[in-house]
Amino acid sequence: MEIGVLRRDGRTDPFFDGTARDRLVIRRCAACDRWFAPDQAGCPECGAGELEWAEAAGTATLVTWTVTHGRPAADGTAPPPAFLALVELTEGPWLHARLDGIDPAALREGLPLRARFRHPGAGESYVLFGPEG
Amino acid sequence: MTEGTGGGTAIAGLGMTELGRVYGRSPRRLAADAVRLAAADAGLALGDLDGLLVSHGMGGSPGIELADTLGLRDLRLLSQLNSFGATAGAMVSYAAQSILSGAASTVACVFADAPLKPERSAGSAYHRDAPEWYGFGGMTAALGFRSVNAFYALAARRHMERYGTTGDQLGAIAVATRAWAAGNPRAQMREPITLDDHRASRWVAEPLRLLDCCLVSNGAVAIIVTGADRARDLARPPVHVWGWGQGHPGHRKERGSDFGLTTGALTSGPIAMKMAGVTPGDISQCQLYDCYTYTVLVSLEDYGFCAKGEGGAFAASGALGPGGALPTNTGGGQLSSYYMWGMTPLSEAVIQARGDGGERQAGRNDVILVSGNGGILDHHSTLILSPHPKGA
Repeated sequence: MEIGVLRRDGRTDPFFDGTARDRLVIRRCAACDRWFAPDQAGCPECGAGELEWAEAAGTATLVTWTVTHGRPAADGTAPPPAFLALVELTEGPWLHARLDGIDPAALREGLPLRARFRHPGAGESYVLFGPEG
Repeated sequence: MTEGTGGGTAIAGLGMTELGRVYGRSPRRLAADAVRLAAADAGLALGDLDGLLVSHGMGGSPGIELADTLGLRDLRLLSQLNSFGATAGAMVSYAAQSILSGAASTVACVFADAPLKPERSAGSAYHRDAPEWYGFGGMTAALGFRSVNAFYALAARRHMERYGTTGDQLGAIAVATRAWAAGNPRAQMREPITLDDHRASRWVAEPLRLLDCCLVSNGAVAIIVTGADRARDLARPPVHVWGWGQGHPGHRKERGSDFGLTTGALTSGPIAMKMAGVTPGDISQCQLYDCYTYTVLVSLEDYGFCAKGEGGAFAASGALGPGGALPTNTGGGQLSSYYMWGMTPLSEAVIQARGDGGERQAGRNDVILVSGNGGILDHHSTLILSPHPKGA
């Protein structure tokens, strides 16, 4: 499955400013010193309504994964499969992510991963996760 | 309790439209037809209803304007509810509580949806596509999460990795469910399948194959809840509501989350069973929300029919199919029969409790557990139903 064209919506500027510079920018509660996914709206710990943006290390481990397969066309051809995952950032939050450059046979819970940034010709830059190293 | 409801509450009517590739009727029209059928089934006139609870599907319709469509006047209860696949169970519990409190006496609960379009695949009904994507939700979709299948596949894979659950164990659920569907004239898929058919069915989102995924259906299902004392005087045998519960785990997406390993049944099951005065050993049969084979497996664990992590072995033991120790999804479920969200398991429970299952009627129907599951394992409801009055 092709990766779609991403556009800003006003809430995502710090995130996409980050991916443009090869940085993974997520949310953090200053009061609790807890990190959250970039779409988190407030702190479920202390109830703070405002979370700051902060740069994550870009390292993660694999939680779980799937390989999605599109419906085959009448001639039997099917779009290439996509490797999708939940990854756990070193800071703790989980992200729904797409894997890149992985060996399907090597997939396992806890597999070390690292953010890899992509800068497509159209739309915003985005992050994929590939094997560490 | 108010006078007249000392016997608790009961489901007195069931109405089902044609289900599946049914075109030409809007969700609102389908819902109205189902309510009329349910009232007729109960031997009631529409004017006997004083409550209406409405649950919409993918299209966001019907809403509470359904009351106007049906010409209902002077209602005492009217709401649109939504906890996704857990809504049907929630509607029954709100109806029962309204009746027990005296706020209403006879409440119709209806679900309708029409996501299937002529000439379009069933899968496309729940698939997102767009030329460009906005926001964080759009980003997830742009990266490849275009349908619910991928999210449930992540859950199923996690269960497999943690507990050694296998694809064949998921397949055993698909096979058992189809065996039940063979006996259901309403089922969309009645041709028996084998484990080899499951193994040969194409991947949708690994580890889920096509035969691990539910159908998509157009149609509507309605039930009518009233006081058990009143239900006894109506046209059909009452299906008594012994207990109900909800569970919304709020799995956080962060380190330590149980996502994929447990469901809200861990909460809703004990609440409903305690209210009903039963334990898992008392359950005669289960009607479980089977949007995927995997949800049956994990729900069985969370309800306590087997230990955590042993749902796969339990399913593969043959317990769930015809002749098994715990008949489950006896109408063919959402996997093989029809996909009316939580109304699929609820409607089959009513049919079984009445003994109307025909060639698929399970041997025992004294205590029936009904589950609902919504979102990505975010919402859960449980009902305990019986042909017998509670405590009798």
